Amino acid sequence: MKNLQDRSVDMGEFVAMPDDDLIICRCEEITKGEIRRAVHDGMTSLIEIKRYLRSGMGLCQGQTCAKLVRAVVAAECKASPAQFELAQPRSPARPIEMRTFANEE
Amino acid sequence: MIADDMRMKDHPILGEISKGRPVEFTFDGKTLTGYEDEPIAVALKAAGLMVHRYTSKHRKPRGIFCAIGRCTDCVMIVDGRPNVRTCVTPLREGMDVRTQYGVEAK
Amino acid sequence: MNRYEFIVIGAGPAGLSGAIEAAKAGMKVLVIDENHRPGGQLFKQIHKFFGSREHKAKIRGFMIGEKLLEEATSLGVEVRLDTTVMGIYKNREIICTKDDKIEHIKGDHILVAAGASENMIPFEGWTLPGVIGAGAAQTMMNLHGVRPGNKILMVGSGNVGLVVSYQLMQAGCDVVAIIDAAPRIGGYGVHASKVARTGVPFHLSHTVVKANGDDHVTSATIGKVDSNWKIVEGSQKTLEVDTICIAVGLSPMSQLLRTAGCLMAEVPQKGGLIPVCSDYTQTSLPGIYAAGDVAGIEEASSAMIQGRIAGAQAARNSGYISDEEFLVRVTDLKKSLGQLREGMFGHEMKGRTDIVKTEEGFTLSKSLLEKGYIDESELASFPAAAACENEYEVHPIIECTQNIPCNPCQDVCSKGCIIVGDKITKLPIISDTATCTGCAMCVASCPGQAIFLVKKSEDGSAIISLPYEFLPIPQKGDKGMALDRKGESVCEAEVVLVQSAKALDHTVVLSIMVPAKYADKARFFRAGGEKL
Repeated sequence: MKNLQDRSVDMGEFVAMPDDDLIICRCEEITKGEIRRAVHDGMTSLIEIKRYLRSGMGLCQGQTCAKLVRAVVAAECKASPAQFELAQPRSPARPIEMRTFANEE
Repeated sequence: MIADDMRMKDHPILGEISKGRPVEFTFDGKTLTGYEDEPIAVALKAAGLMVHRYTSKHRKPRGIFCAIGRCTDCVMIVDGRPNVRTCVTPLREGMDVRTQYGVEAK
Repeated sequence: MNRYEFIVIGAGPAGLSGAIEAAKAGMKVLVIDENHRPGGQLFKQIHKFFGSREHKAKIRGFMIGEKLLEEATSLGVEVRLDTTVMGIYKNREIICTKDDKIEHIKGDHILVAAGASENMIPFEGWTLPGVIGAGAAQTMMNLHGVRPGNKILMVGSGNVGLVVSYQLMQAGCDVVAIIDAAPRIGGYGVHASKVARTGVPFHLSHTVVKANGDDHVTSATIGKVDSNWKIVEGSQKTLEVDTICIAVGLSPMSQLLRTAGCLMAEVPQKGGLIPVCSDYTQTSLPGIYAAGDVAGIEEASSAMIQGRIAGAQAARNSGYISDEEFLVRVTDLKKSLGQLREGMFGHEMKGRTDIVKTEEGFTLSKSLLEKGYIDESELASFPAAAACENEYEVHPIIECTQNIPCNPCQDVCSKGCIIVGDKITKLPIISDTATCTGCAMCVASCPGQAIFLVKKSEDGSAIISLPYEFLPIPQKGDKGMALDRKGESVCEAEVVLVQSAKALDHTVVLSIMVPAKYADKARFFRAGGEKL
């Protein structure tokens, strides 16, 4: 079984596909092609993809796209989605304004 | 633009649909009527509106998607404040609702 | 900092049930929900639930929600709405926000009953206004009285897709088609039949290729998929719709459990990432419990039982109830939960495509799984669906052909005509000793709308009594067409009786007269030349 954290694994060439401009992360408008290209740039864990592309960092905080991004990455790595750990959620669980965060009794 | 055709008057299970008092508000400067306390997005849907905002990067139209305040696709500028989730924000009399372009209150 | 003995995150069926159970034992309970209204998804469910009496069967979801809320508040449970829990920290401290303020609260025990979120499938044009989640359609129609659109394409044939399609029709929308990329319908056959008999077509092995339109949906292009999920050349067709509703499954909303550091496991049959829990809803972190969809996608009835187990566990761990009393409470609850998990759609069977027979050994209707309606030829193998000996006496015909835990039909017949038995997944059979009086309670009470009354007459006509939940309600004397299970017109029909008593709970029983030779086919009514 492929070790997905092993960066010496050859992903092969990035091959453009007709659905590369399909939006996957709606909030940040990240496309399928951008995610696939990121995998070839060496990002094979979902937390790296998130930091690299900002997918999952928009207003909905990955509520809509997390599983979709994982599916694209898994397909590109030719592996099962279950092998990819979803990015760690952190507090605050929902977007909050700084003035609210500081407004504590 | 006060179209009521998307509103249901009567429902086979829920019976007569009751609402709060009718209130006026403005959308992009036009006066519309909705019902107090219902989500702003519902009043806009009843008026036939589909596009709530245009995205920052690709300037694409977005509207109601999840309707429960999770996806943030329905956000608009309400009373000058941007990124207000219209599907969970109650309508108040005199509210000023505007189409949002990008993520700021332009 | 405020401190509560039991903090419940989520005021849905699991959360409220947990709160009630703990409050009954004497605990000080706080329920927090980020929404404006409590009840979770319950208030959007306008259909009658399945299960048995203890599972609140044949009661509509929103009424269950009202009862739970009433009970919780009468027990002194504090419910805070519009309040979002931002995170669960060490030692069960949470921070939550409301009205631009944040607050720290400490809990001795925390029940995470945060529910689930909808899955999505991306396709060209899916960001266009007009593409919405099935939950969005329910929220707009059932909470706010507004139609999400006029012509709808439903993507997904699980219970959510089927039930929401029916609700869309009740709201006055035109459901143009239900599609699913799988070759079989994912939800209950009876939910599909309710929709199929009104004429809505099912296209299995089809997916949505593109949502068309400039700034909102004006049509949808669908295509057939092969066994590799690739679109078959030349199979694409365009449907004129203004709304595309996505109902492709739910995933547990596990952020809070994960921030707290609970041990998680990926279990596809339960919706994905779920907390590893003990039999009594205890997660890997002491004092933190998980119940409802967040612990694994199931039905509201299961959520309520799990919530109660969690509440009982918290009460026991706090010393409010003894170990013995705890065992008494949860043994019954676990048995009840077990019942709900049996049958064709239970966790163990879910997704299996090799099931071809019912528990009794009857051959499952292939047509029902692939097209949404039972083919007449398949009915013969189901005793309760076949014509009885004396067709000139009014008698029930029960087109219930899949093992689902459900038995209101048995309970509601005062003459004992319908028998399900102790194992509630068993298909109902008709007693050969009891006599049907034609009261039609069974017709109105079957949550799957699968029961009809038939009575043939010497004059060559037959009267079919069927459940009807649409507006306008037909009137006695109205003429129209009788539709078959597929939703196609078979013959002329006249309404001879309309029953709508309070006991029928908004399910009108419509009796139509048709020529006797169509008694086995006529299963729905369309007035005059009108479309629903």
